[in-house]
Amino acid sequence: MKRNLFALLSLLVLASMVLAACGTPAPEATEAPAATEAPAATEAPAATEEVAACAPAGTEPIAFPDGGKSVTEAYDQEPDAVVPYFSQMTFAIWVTQLTLVGLGEWDDKGTFVPELAVEVPTAENGGVSADGLTITWKLKDCLFWSDGTPLTSADVKFTWEAIVDPANAPASRTGYDKIESIETPDDTTVVIKFAELYPPWPTLFTQGPNNSGGILPKHMLEGKTALETDPFIRQPTVGSGPFVITEWVPGDYMTLLPNPNFYKGRAVLDRVQIRFVADSAAAVAALQTGDIDIYSNFSEGDIETLKALDPDVKLTVVPGVDYEHYFFNLGRVDGVDGRGKADNEGFCPFKDIRVRKAITLGINRQAVVETLLSGYTTVPVSQWPNSGWTNTNLTVDAYDPEAAAALLDEAGYTLGADGIRVGDCNGEQVKLSFNFETTTAPIRIAIATAAQADLAKIGVEFTPIHTPAGTFFGQYVDGGPLTTGNYDMGGYTTGFYPDPYTDNYQCEAIPNAEKPDGVNWYHNCDPYLSDLMDTMLDTVDAAERKAILDEAQKYIAENYYVIPMYARGNVYGSTPRFVFGPLGPESDKNWNAELWDVTE
Amino acid sequence: MWSYLLRRVFQAIFTLLIITVLCFLLTRFSGDPIAQYANNPRMSAEDKAALRERLGLNAPLYVQYFKWLGLALQGDLGQSFFAKQPVSDLIVQRLPNTMILMLTAEIVTVSFALLLGIISAVKQYSFWDNAITTFSFIGFSIPIFFSALGLMLIFAVQFKEWGWPYLPTGASVWDKSDPVEYIRNLILPVTALAFVNTAGYSRFVRTSILEVLGQDYIRTARAKGLTSRTVLFKHALRNAALPLVTIVGLDIPFLLGGAIVTESVFSWPGMGRLFWEYAQRSDYPVVLGILLIISLAVVVLTIVTDVIYTFVDPRIRLS
Repeated sequence: MKRNLFALLSLLVLASMVLAACGTPAPEATEAPAATEAPAATEAPAATEEVAACAPAGTEPIAFPDGGKSVTEAYDQEPDAVVPYFSQMTFAIWVTQLTLVGLGEWDDKGTFVPELAVEVPTAENGGVSADGLTITWKLKDCLFWSDGTPLTSADVKFTWEAIVDPANAPASRTGYDKIESIETPDDTTVVIKFAELYPPWPTLFTQGPNNSGGILPKHMLEGKTALETDPFIRQPTVGSGPFVITEWVPGDYMTLLPNPNFYKGRAVLDRVQIRFVADSAAAVAALQTGDIDIYSNFSEGDIETLKALDPDVKLTVVPGVDYEHYFFNLGRVDGVDGRGKADNEGFCPFKDIRVRKAITLGINRQAVVETLLSGYTTVPVSQWPNSGWTNTNLTVDAYDPEAAAALLDEAGYTLGADGIRVGDCNGEQVKLSFNFETTTAPIRIAIATAAQADLAKIGVEFTPIHTPAGTFFGQYVDGGPLTTGNYDMGGYTTGFYPDPYTDNYQCEAIPNAEKPDGVNWYHNCDPYLSDLMDTMLDTVDAAERKAILDEAQKYIAENYYVIPMYARGNVYGSTPRFVFGPLGPESDKNWNAELWDVTE
Repeated sequence: MWSYLLRRVFQAIFTLLIITVLCFLLTRFSGDPIAQYANNPRMSAEDKAALRERLGLNAPLYVQYFKWLGLALQGDLGQSFFAKQPVSDLIVQRLPNTMILMLTAEIVTVSFALLLGIISAVKQYSFWDNAITTFSFIGFSIPIFFSALGLMLIFAVQFKEWGWPYLPTGASVWDKSDPVEYIRNLILPVTALAFVNTAGYSRFVRTSILEVLGQDYIRTARAKGLTSRTVLFKHALRNAALPLVTIVGLDIPFLLGGAIVTESVFSWPGMGRLFWEYAQRSDYPVVLGILLIISLAVVVLTIVTDVIYTFVDPRIRLS
């Protein structure tokens, strides 16, 4: 009997090994560029001549040489689809940044710079029409896909068609659906005509940490529908970025090799491998042993851990353009002047600016930054930190518990027997005791606990409630606290993406039964602010937009509608041998992956 | 016998149906697949609504369930919401990796459990028995994420620090066709799994052997003048192993599910991680597919174990 059991077990092991052998795909050879001929035939004769004048540097990714420079990066999750527009997953966008480029991007200084284009369209160079409805991009000459096929304006037009084609289901059409037509008078000119003003047009067809607008290869996808399920969308074999995916073992790793035709020339590294590592503690150990070179998904809470591992592991923190903010639910069931009716009435005392200001002054945000965040970031003045849109005239209110207490006294909230203030709000006795809701991220728990202790000192009972992100950000019909307005105070991160285009302050964006998808989760209807932001949405001129946004930032700060906590940042851990390209707040590390290097 | 089998199969089908309903409801109430995009500025409200419609999340719950069940009955587990691949493909990619890890761990566990359990039973209340008992309780009490990370810190990180030959953390890209690399990468996860599981199993073996050793037929065997070795291995162990077979048999279907924590810590591309990754994103088709396969295996193997039992132990009759 025992023998039978062992025979059975050995058989199972054997069977699974055979399965494993079959299941592990052999490294796929990159497809031969069979398609190279086809598009050439469809091109105008003039273009063919020009193409002949400048030849591609190669037709397939550059093979990894013995002893070449190789880097292994760890991702928490496996990307779902590597072509932009069809995935909104962060890890997918990171790979996209390595493999597909757009017309422009944001550099480490936060400047919008051209990539495939010769220059960024402006009114001065004629790229932006007087009415702001027509944008003309001029592509560089001699651009090629990694398989040697010319990259032309037709690819840009195709990209737009693929996004708006009802037969395809991209994750988002935002902005692209505002385009009326795209004309391509020649191979390097793209004329985009908008049906209505779209001030954040620079986010279309461009790459950034928060927008993924790489150009798609027409010659690989033309004539196909339901692109969302196409194998090429999941794993593009042809690209325009510094690297091309040549191998992807599901659940395990992917290999990228240099693109010979990258517009800036070939990448410094000979190979990038991405390993899917689910656990950040394991990633730290792997960095220490050198099993991986870089891990990008650390959060502020990991800074101390990483600092302790110096010099085996190098810590790099780049303050970003998002901010963690606390805010008040200012919902009004009756709305304001008939606008912005909320389903739930916010906590009554928050309607008094003195209470909001007292809570802001009563939280020691500087201490949070210094201790919990190791001083690697700052308390920002507004939603658009570390960017060109920041209102630099604003200053951060310092921690001042005495002033906070005085404000609460003035507002009529006096200390009760239990040490919590009680006062009168709209004719009712109200205790300054309320809930604060946020997600379960450890750093959020730590900061909320600190805020709770600070506020207790001024007689305010602030009770943190931590719910998983899925529930916290849950949609209206599922009763998500933010969308339904069923919370007192809340906290999460938002910011700059990479244009300050937002409607989270508009009265008309307050979610309610008729508009469950509204994004004004503050449920705050302030007609002045709402109209101001609306004006910004209809203004194309950058200087004018900046002036409006400066006013909006000042107004929000003066009214204490939100409490800016700290500017979020990218926290990287790497081996000492890994060399980044220049890093900046508006560009994550992948924007210049062609410059990555290793020192041996 | 046949009527018994038929009855069991009907029961099994009924059980499975109930399991699918429960799993379906549990996964559906555990989170919203679209919620992960809630704070994603790249997706507008219309985008999210369109995605919800496309994933079929707007249909009434029972319609979604019967649609899923209908396809599952035809062997189609559906498409993953996010990976854009058939669920069966995802499972086929991961299953072999999990089987290798889990079966190796199971073999190591059972071997050690037998060894330690026998020593413990034969030398009851000796130093070794106490030592093994202590070890068992330590192994049993330490959460696996802790022992797994601890093993990694000692045998990978510290050993490297000390300049000794060290084991990989599992996070490197390694060649799966190289048997030496395979074994090197297997050692730590298998040890972590075996450490926890051996503890429970060895306690079980110990009790079982002690019980058998007190039986009359063992005394008879001893009285016949058989050596204690013969008594132990020919008479005691065979009978003591019976309940162990049941336990191992019932554990096998769960091996299919992989080990969520161990696979995550050691970056093992198996079923446990597949489940965890997709459960986090509320990708119901994948989660349900895995749950269905495990439930099916449990139900089928329970019947098989019962049937096998009649062959192993003639005292048992199925009726």
